[in-house]
Amino acid sequence: MAVTNLPEFIRADGPDKVTGSGRYTADMTLTGQLVAKFKYGEVSHGRITKLDVEAARAIPGVFAVLTAADVPDVRYSYGLADRTLFATDIIRFEGEIVAAVAAIDADVAQQALDAIVLEVDVLEPITDLHAAIADGSPLVHEAIDTYEVTGDTPHSGNIATHSSISMGDAEAAMATADTVVTSRYLADASHATPIEPRAVIAQWEGDKVTVWTSTQVPFDARAGVCETLELPTSKVRIIAPHLGGGFGGKCGAHFEPHIAALARAAKRPVKLVFSRWEEFIAPDRRREAMIIDVTTGVDADGKIVARTGEILLDNGAYMADSSFFAQAAAMHVAGPYVIPAVHIDAKLVYTNHQPSGSVRAPTAPQGCWAIESHTDEIAKAIGMDALEFRRKNIVTSGSTGCVGQTYDEIGLDQCLDMAAASAGWGQDLPDGEALGISVGWWPSFAAPAGAYAKLHGDGTVQVITGASECGTGSVMTLRMLAADEIGIDETAVELIYQDTGAAPAGPGSSGSQTLFNHGRAVEKASRMVADQVKELAAAQLEANVSDIVLDNGTASVAGSPAISIPIVELAGASETGEILGSAAADAIEWPEITGSTCLGEQGFSSWLAPQFSCHVARVRVDADTGVTRVLEVHAVHDSGTILNPVAAHGQVEGGVMMGVGQALTEGTRYDDQGNQLNAGLLEYKLQTIADAPKITTQFVEIFTDNAGPRGAKGLAEAPNVATCGAVNNAITNATGVRIRQLPMTAERVWEAINDSEAAS
Amino acid sequence: MSTSNPQAVTLNVNGVPYPVAIDTSRTLSTVLRNELGLTGTKEGCDDCECGACMVLLDGRPINSCSYLAVQTQGREVTTVEGLASQDDLAPLQRNILAAGGVQCGFCTPGMLMSATALLDENPTPTEEEIRIGLSGNLCRCTGYARILDSVIQTSVEINS
Ligand code: FES
Ligand code: FES
Repeated sequence: MAVTNLPEFIRADGPDKVTGSGRYTADMTLTGQLVAKFKYGEVSHGRITKLDVEAARAIPGVFAVLTAADVPDVRYSYGLADRTLFATDIIRFEGEIVAAVAAIDADVAQQALDAIVLEVDVLEPITDLHAAIADGSPLVHEAIDTYEVTGDTPHSGNIATHSSISMGDAEAAMATADTVVTSRYLADASHATPIEPRAVIAQWEGDKVTVWTSTQVPFDARAGVCETLELPTSKVRIIAPHLGGGFGGKCGAHFEPHIAALARAAKRPVKLVFSRWEEFIAPDRRREAMIIDVTTGVDADGKIVARTGEILLDNGAYMADSSFFAQAAAMHVAGPYVIPAVHIDAKLVYTNHQPSGSVRAPTAPQGCWAIESHTDEIAKAIGMDALEFRRKNIVTSGSTGCVGQTYDEIGLDQCLDMAAASAGWGQDLPDGEALGISVGWWPSFAAPAGAYAKLHGDGTVQVITGASECGTGSVMTLRMLAADEIGIDETAVELIYQDTGAAPAGPGSSGSQTLFNHGRAVEKASRMVADQVKELAAAQLEANVSDIVLDNGTASVAGSPAISIPIVELAGASETGEILGSAAADAIEWPEITGSTCLGEQGFSSWLAPQFSCHVARVRVDADTGVTRVLEVHAVHDSGTILNPVAAHGQVEGGVMMGVGQALTEGTRYDDQGNQLNAGLLEYKLQTIADAPKITTQFVEIFTDNAGPRGAKGLAEAPNVATCGAVNNAITNATGVRIRQLPMTAERVWEAINDSEAAS
Repeated sequence: MSTSNPQAVTLNVNGVPYPVAIDTSRTLSTVLRNELGLTGTKEGCDDCECGACMVLLDGRPINSCSYLAVQTQGREVTTVEGLASQDDLAPLQRNILAAGGVQCGFCTPGMLMSATALLDENPTPTEEEIRIGLSGNLCRCTGYARILDSVIQTSVEINS
């Protein structure tokens, strides 16, 4: 709707979202559309002995029933091509799709599901990480050695990939330490849990398919449809309507291929909308459970001299995009510290759980929680203040970190001091209350991205980008960049995004890349437009091109603002009536690392434009019940230059809140067969507004070369890294006991308090 | 195809009477979205857990995913589409945007309906009362602070 009383600074998609006029995928209806439903494997591990869909196909109103026999025999997944669209022989997790139906309505679709005959020999589920990698364990993938391998993915048996980072002689260095601390931490799996359950609609016209889908990554979704259905890129168009959150959970190609295949077979548009239960069990993107064993040696001055560690990560049944997780986890367990000798081994282990995949800063909240809890244990062991110990050991500008990367201007030390000051570190607090501190880090990612910009004859600009807006506001920031480059008002810039049929390719909304990569492309394309405007202005104003300044809708001569012409006139006067720019973001060089070796290198050791953070949490623990309330979180971030402060604060607040959820309540529970016990929002508890702590956010803005536009680094994932660790350390400071499993539920806190009382 | 038993009813939504024939087993959210085309009301769980489907029934907030459409006959339903006037946002809508309380926007309609009901009943809520009033609406994006701010700001405006 056209609204007139807008506040000055608002996101471009805001009015649609507050009036209900914005359409999300599930809001769309196509003429003749059918309803899709999936038949799931129902057991976490089993061999299919019979699958008969004839009775389902015969039901009036059923237009298509598909199984593996009806789609190309293609195996996919990066790292190890371990997956097919439908189960063929073995069911490897409860959300495995065995068949898909398209029917006239939901009731008939359900009848069709019920009519499918599926007989399964139930196999012993593989769920224990240590047992899964022991000699002689049954394999999740019997044929793993025949799978196509991409990248540096060393695998064997149930180990999907193995990564280690090594610098110096960790064993020898450990032997020189004055104090050695060893810890074990366990993290349960958790979920992205966007409030919008995913939806997909596919429609064929001739040999072309258009798919509307709640994806964060339209170009990856297109690649997935093309790969699995063996279609050329030009025949597949992906459009993402407004997206109701993703948090990584909507990365990758998920169910777009199934729905495209159903629509082709049914010769009708087909729509899938997930139930909340499906949203929990079926996607191959959930946060991985981890077991972390770590040992650190420090010298008499409290300097870290060595760290060794072993990490097991629950990969679940399939690879999805997790091939880098082992290396990422190793980096987090090493942490943003100066450590001269390191050896950390991480193994990504197949199980019969739901597949792990990118959820907001994959591996980081758990890895950081473990290492920051361990860090407090070290400080305690040597009788040093936790803040002081970190000050002594963290990476600073010019120092060399755990893989031999030497950092340029970074602001972790400032994050630490500012967060501590903000929280009043060292102050006396009431009984049961305490502060806890944690530092965290996360890289930025460079990836190819393109953009178009068009200045119209009426003075408005259209920016066409492959970026995706999953809510963060980062696409909205692209509008600011274009406006700034061309010298017009932000509200004169219209964004066209989330449509592979219109935009040049790009990474979409994953890895905090929107501003970093799409932003650089938009900046460059807009600058091409601006350059042409300047040339036209120079000719009109009889001035040098280099003297033309674009600002406030006007082209003027530097130093003589009276000599000017409105930009709208120049656009209209151009040869075609509009001025075009198209550009790809420049390649960025990744920092060098020296002196270390990384097995299973998946591009996660050298960190481009690294981001740093420090969170201090204030908690109140009720010792009688174990209930922990997070009262305050003081978050300070170095994410480079902040271009859109409202969006940036929103990312930190949302990320911290997700962290509080992971810290206290969010953990998947399984039955003894590997099926999820809490696949619903009543049982899997997100934090509510009643639980929300006061979050104080500050940014350390340091300009870094080799970053995104105007020195911006990534931001959306970094706030989700350090909170859990800060909460755990605060719980320990409040109660004297250490919680060793995530989430730190009331039961676990209560048990730890009771165990320690019983022991004393 | 489905074993429906349509019944002729008139639903009053946002001041507009809709004479429709609906299956008596259909929920209000389904009918609003599929029959009346009012897709501003969202479904995040269909099970009374998330609050995305919140609408007002005679001014009181209800989860429309768990309310039968036929039960609303003779009563007044208000959805997010009914908050703004022809060309002006309601103060709450404007304030939630200005505060940065909208990210993905999927929780926003439900959040706005809960907050509207809260302020209608109690124009001067304390922070604690706002927290309680909105605790049935899950938001995964924002951390809630800016949503809270926008309700406080609206309350201040209403009372000045
Ligand atoms: S959809 Fe009604 S409460 Fe979630
Ligand atoms: S804004 Fe995304 S769920 Fe609230």
